[in-house]
Amino acid sequence: MPNPIRTIAPIAIPLAAMLCAAPAFAAGPLQVEAKVLTEQKTRAADGTVRVALVPARRIVPGDRVTFVLAYRNTGAQPIGNVVLDNPVPKGIAYRAPAATSAAPDLSVDGKTFGPLASLRVAAANGTTRAATPDDVTHVRWRLERPITAGAQGQLAFDAVLR
Amino acid sequence: MFRNRVRTLLLTGSAAVATVGTAHAQTAAQNTTAGTSISNTASVTYTVNGTAQTTNSTTATFVVDRKVNFTVIADQGGTKTQVNLGQVDAVTKFKVTNTTNGIQDFYLDPGQSLIADGLVTGIDDFDMSSLRVFVDSNNNGVYDAGVDTKTYVDELAPDASVAVFIVGNVPASGTLSQANVNLQVIAAAGGLANTRGDLLVPTVLNSDATVDIVFADDDNDGIGVDLPRNGEGRAYASYEIGTRNVALTVTKSALVLSDGVSTLNPKALPGALVQYCLFVRNATLTASANGVQLNDIVPANTTYVPGSITIGTPGGTCVSLGSTEDDDADDAAETDGVTASFNSTNRNVNAIVGNVGGGGTVAVAFKVTIN
Repeated sequence: MPNPIRTIAPIAIPLAAMLCAAPAFAAGPLQVEAKVLTEQKTRAADGTVRVALVPARRIVPGDRVTFVLAYRNTGAQPIGNVVLDNPVPKGIAYRAPAATSAAPDLSVDGKTFGPLASLRVAAANGTTRAATPDDVTHVRWRLERPITAGAQGQLAFDAVLR
Repeated sequence: MFRNRVRTLLLTGSAAVATVGTAHAQTAAQNTTAGTSISNTASVTYTVNGTAQTTNSTTATFVVDRKVNFTVIADQGGTKTQVNLGQVDAVTKFKVTNTTNGIQDFYLDPGQSLIADGLVTGIDDFDMSSLRVFVDSNNNGVYDAGVDTKTYVDELAPDASVAVFIVGNVPASGTLSQANVNLQVIAAAGGLANTRGDLLVPTVLNSDATVDIVFADDDNDGIGVDLPRNGEGRAYASYEIGTRNVALTVTKSALVLSDGVSTLNPKALPGALVQYCLFVRNATLTASANGVQLNDIVPANTTYVPGSITIGTPGGTCVSLGSTEDDDADDAAETDGVTASFNSTNRNVNAIVGNVGGGGTVAVAFKVTIN
């Protein structure tokens, strides 16, 4: 069967592109929304500083940002073997799992994943050295348990804008 | 049924955010350029009832904002520019470094400064006139009049530095010692070569789709004249009239020009014509001596040759390029700045040489005959 989308006139292509760019949820039961948050410090009347995470609008090099993946099972069936693979965007340096988030597996090449201590990168002199958070190129979560129907959760990592 | 063990993030309130640490110390050129769009998308694989599926997360995007930062320092090696009265185009040198994550223009504003206490030593007691500011357009580190003509910093790349010169004239007279100047540098929009961009204004309302302007500059002078996060910087330098004396020497020599007997090797015989030559030398290279005056008594048993005083540059037998002076003390008709006279009563030759430049020498010659 030809894909019915293909039969639509070419004018639909930019429309489809726009829909993809917007927070359009895929048709599948698992919906994942990506968010970028940053710390906003506000000083309360009693002198304490409250730190809130707000959508990233004013971000300059050196600022901390938190990348969030919020997922939800909108279907009626449990979803298993969920793997969320998040390439670290260019210009972003991975730092740590966000507080309250499960720790992700890390990779410095997109192929081999594991805890940071297990990763090595090639050094200039032909040898390898232990990877640092700056070397991380991919962040991956592998959910051990299925997401039940209607369940949701969030995963996040902290990073710094280079 | 398994309970989902992944806990949700506490998104608001006093969220205890783990210490993330800032990016490692890096230079502005390594910083992500303002205007860069950073997007994050995760790809997801999963199974439903044993069937493998894939999807992508939505894409979260933000635009890197402009972190305006720069430094301005006096680049004089900690010294003051030594000047002399009447000097024109005296230069103090500064250095502006762009540490913004993007290309910047900078306005430059030179000014007199009385409040440089603590930043430069000495007391400001005069003002430079005709203060101007120029950028080192040819990047050779020295001010080239007519070449370094740009009056604003144009399109300075991240981490790049450029020399900026304050150029001014020293008053021609007075008992003066020091003039302090300051260079104010104000961040302006880059992006258009050979055009001075508009002054930057920090963005009040944050936007995620456009490049916000964020001032990140420090209090550049540390004394509160400049303020942190104002997009401006100041640095201070001084002009000093430190030279109060010069190494002035006079050497005198005699040469028998003719004796009426021998033409090849004239001797000091009675009736011989003798030229006395005085070299006035200023060994101080950086300052000229003004109002230099020579007095020389014609020796006994000689007779001054009227109209024989010449003053000029050294060479030949004494003066190579010079002017012959008259003997009278009336200098009203003199126009070349040097005058001389002979007093027949006390047999004194008086030569008013005037200005002897730094490292320069002026020659004075006069002739006598041996009695």
